[in-house]
Amino acid sequence: MDIFLQQIVNGLTIGSLYALVALGYTMVYGVMRLINFAHGDLVALSAFVGLTVYTQIFGEGITSLIAVVAVFMFTAVIVAVVGVLLERLAYRPLRTAPRLSAVVSALGAGLVIQNAVMLIWGPNMKIFPSEIFPSTIWAIGGIVVTFTQVMILGLSSALMVALYFFINRTKMGTAIRAVAIDQDAAKLMGINVNRIIMVIFIIGSALGAVAGLFIGAYYRGITFDMGWMYGLNAFVAAIMGGIGNIPGAMLGGLLLGLFNAMITGYISTQWAETFTFVLLIVILVFRPTGILGEKVAEKV
Amino acid sequence: MTKMFPKFAASLAVCSALVSASVAADVIKIGVQAPITGQYANEGQSIDNGVRLIVDQYNAKGGVLGKKIEVVSCDDQGTAQQAAICAKKLVNEGVKAVIGSYTSGATEAAQTTYFRAGVLQTSDGTSDSLITHKYWTFFRNSFPNSAEAEYTAKYFVDGKKYKKIVILSDYSSYATDLADSVVKALKAKNGNIIYEGKIKSGTQNFTAALTKIKSMDPDVIYFSGYYTDGGLLRAQQIQLGIKADFVGGDSNDNPDFMKLAGDSAKGTFLINVPTPDILPYDIAKQFLVDYKAKYNAMPASIWSLMNIDGLRAVLHSMETTKSEDTKVIAAGMHKLKDFPGITGPVTFREDGERLGGGYMTYEVQADKSYKIVSK
Amino acid sequence: MMNKTSLIALALLVFMGFYPLFVDSAWLAVGTTFLVFSVVAFSQDIILGRAGVFHMGHAMFFGMGAYTTAILNVHFGWPILATWAPSVLIPMAFAFVLAGPIIHLRGDYLLVATIGFNIIFIQVLENDVFGLTGGPNGIFGIDIVRLFGIEFASQTYMYYMAFILLGIALFIMRNLDKSKFGRAMFYINKDEIAAQSMGISIRYYKLYAFIVGAGIAGAAGSMFSVQYSAVSPEAFNVTQSIMFFTIVLVGGSASLPGVLIGTFIMFVLPEVFREFETARYLVFGLAMILTMILRPRGIWPVKFGDIPSYLKKGVK
Repeated sequence: MDIFLQQIVNGLTIGSLYALVALGYTMVYGVMRLINFAHGDLVALSAFVGLTVYTQIFGEGITSLIAVVAVFMFTAVIVAVVGVLLERLAYRPLRTAPRLSAVVSALGAGLVIQNAVMLIWGPNMKIFPSEIFPSTIWAIGGIVVTFTQVMILGLSSALMVALYFFINRTKMGTAIRAVAIDQDAAKLMGINVNRIIMVIFIIGSALGAVAGLFIGAYYRGITFDMGWMYGLNAFVAAIMGGIGNIPGAMLGGLLLGLFNAMITGYISTQWAETFTFVLLIVILVFRPTGILGEKVAEKV
Repeated sequence: MTKMFPKFAASLAVCSALVSASVAADVIKIGVQAPITGQYANEGQSIDNGVRLIVDQYNAKGGVLGKKIEVVSCDDQGTAQQAAICAKKLVNEGVKAVIGSYTSGATEAAQTTYFRAGVLQTSDGTSDSLITHKYWTFFRNSFPNSAEAEYTAKYFVDGKKYKKIVILSDYSSYATDLADSVVKALKAKNGNIIYEGKIKSGTQNFTAALTKIKSMDPDVIYFSGYYTDGGLLRAQQIQLGIKADFVGGDSNDNPDFMKLAGDSAKGTFLINVPTPDILPYDIAKQFLVDYKAKYNAMPASIWSLMNIDGLRAVLHSMETTKSEDTKVIAAGMHKLKDFPGITGPVTFREDGERLGGGYMTYEVQADKSYKIVSK
Repeated sequence: MMNKTSLIALALLVFMGFYPLFVDSAWLAVGTTFLVFSVVAFSQDIILGRAGVFHMGHAMFFGMGAYTTAILNVHFGWPILATWAPSVLIPMAFAFVLAGPIIHLRGDYLLVATIGFNIIFIQVLENDVFGLTGGPNGIFGIDIVRLFGIEFASQTYMYYMAFILLGIALFIMRNLDKSKFGRAMFYINKDEIAAQSMGISIRYYKLYAFIVGAGIAGAAGSMFSVQYSAVSPEAFNVTQSIMFFTIVLVGGSASLPGVLIGTFIMFVLPEVFREFETARYLVFGLAMILTMILRPRGIWPVKFGDIPSYLKKGVK
């Protein structure tokens, strides 16, 4: 039983990271019908930005609340700016182009970010200052939870709840939903579509930045190309939940993390990825638009 | 649009002309095939640096056989496919011998190509399978996995008296081969292996697999893979409160292991041949001084030095046989007996195996220094 | 009947035919791989460009062909020539079985499903299933083509074999264009819903495109494995699939010269700029974005307004 609960903790930790990243994919998709392939690389970028911010401003070996808050704020702002630039330069000119052209542009943008990270920080693995969080470990019964894990679980659920209320209860959230349903109609209602899209990219990139920092703090080793792996898993999570659907991305992320932990723990380490994608394909065969995705008729 | 094609054809013609212009002059070319970028970049760069250092020293003395030596490097990124491409490229460049690569997989993928072209190859790859082809072109400059495995099994069963042993490896040919050898050696000594598993290199999150291992309550977790994953495994093992000892195979012996594991590094056991700084030989000390002077860093690990010994053996054999014919050079290398190397005496067996061994176990101390706990 | 385009195509063909006479073996190897990759790109174009299926797992079929040849040759001792037929048929069979249940999915869902297949394929290879695939290092020591005691080992032979393969692929594509399939594809691409209401079975033709594309990619894979005498999983991973996907869209989908240009840009140019090692992919990514902004339908797009000549036969 302890082992089972421990696996749930393991799964929820990685699952919330996936969920945070998946939100970025799903929000952009919901509004622009675009798979933002560069999003995973933004996550990797954040880990490196966080590393630099931390070592430059605070120096190594310092654990303080101010440092943590400052690193998270700085990084989120910087990465959000990159996200907005990304949309301006690589996606906006293609809004009326064939959909696949925007996909290629996104792939190209991912390549640019990834290689920029490599040129700036070098091709070798860098060690993220994991002392940013205290190394406290709690043992509850037979289950072990670290401070970093608690932070990951706590902050990501808080952010997701906040996002849910923002989307459903605020004026801006209503505007976002309106743009997602019909851009032209939203425009006619006086909504500034460009501004909404900018907000989407700010939120998505900032959430990705939080995930990137957590990945650094929890796993320590960060590489310029790690964004691909987290990006792909998060993208799969978003698709599982129904891409474009915000609660779907959260559900998909947690489900994917838990499923992976259970498969690895009880069935097979070697075939974990295969099980993941078989699950995805099975979900798609029976629910072609994901678990929470609505059935949409193609526009004629 | 139709104007594009002539341009495109012209650019093709231009680049082909550019390339065919570089025809070899009176130099002897030595190839380096190493993971200069990618996961094992610091090992690959160290091999490349070391080779260039030795070649510079030779060239300063006038080269070999009255000719300057030229180094041609190819980055195999530690992958088999890139290695196959590198092999073709280096053969086309007309190199006499290739130093590297670092990983067994990349070495094995290139072996056949060098053999067919009659190009000598010397690598630190430790997979036992590397010498099974009996290619006359291949010389291993390190010691095989089977030697390390026997040492490990003896240490586990007779020394530490572990009762419940977990063996982990990744998917690389080297780590799989080492894990298989260790399992075989342990079984021969009636060691009790309770779990054998594989982790996917670079996935970072090993908590699920380790939690499964925790439920088996092992005495020791042995990991045969590389430091990039080993450091994380150790950190997550401590985090999950798994009491077992952690013993890493030779490729965990890297400064980055300590950084990744952080405070958890303390108490880790590493099995390897001596580290560069405790090598007792004079040429080793001199080499480290020269290396430090040129690159302002230490070589990444003992493996770069093994490769340097491979290079030195090749150049030495060229000088003694006075030949550029690779068959003759190979014969000369087989005749070497206790050739003084940086990593100890070098002698090659008929199938290209380097004879010798000398493994040790280190325990990592709180300040990340090593303490020899068993020889 | 010669128009400007076919003249250029002919000139290019002649140039490629004589290419081995001008270059050293390193560039001959690049040329050979260029030909092999163009074949794969054409087969990707059948699925993505012509049938309009968002397929991002094409390296899987390329890999299946390569591994079929490698396994049959190395483990079972088949001569390379004998492995050619299975290396085409096995990818086709898999395409039928795998694509069948998912072909009806909407664009982006299909895209991630095909990525999924590719990842599963790589895991199967890495886990050394039945001891056949050789794990992460793949299979080494693949033989050369032998016929009547002649060994076709040199790089020049390899080049011309790949050249012939490209010719065969182009011939098949031409025949496809002229067939019922080509007409159906043209209409589906113009307007899927209208085509469906005209009684064209979209599912049938998309699956057909998938199977044909997989077969051609398999043949190219077989050639690839012989050229490098080694196969390993990372040559067929999702990154490779993304490259084939990008080749088609950057060049211009459903356009023969477009796909060739795409392959040249995405594969040969990085080889040419190898010296700028570290920065080249950055520039490359920028170029991808710029190309799409300036020419959203690719560098050399087909003109969708026109009805292709093969559909106009007999119409004055």
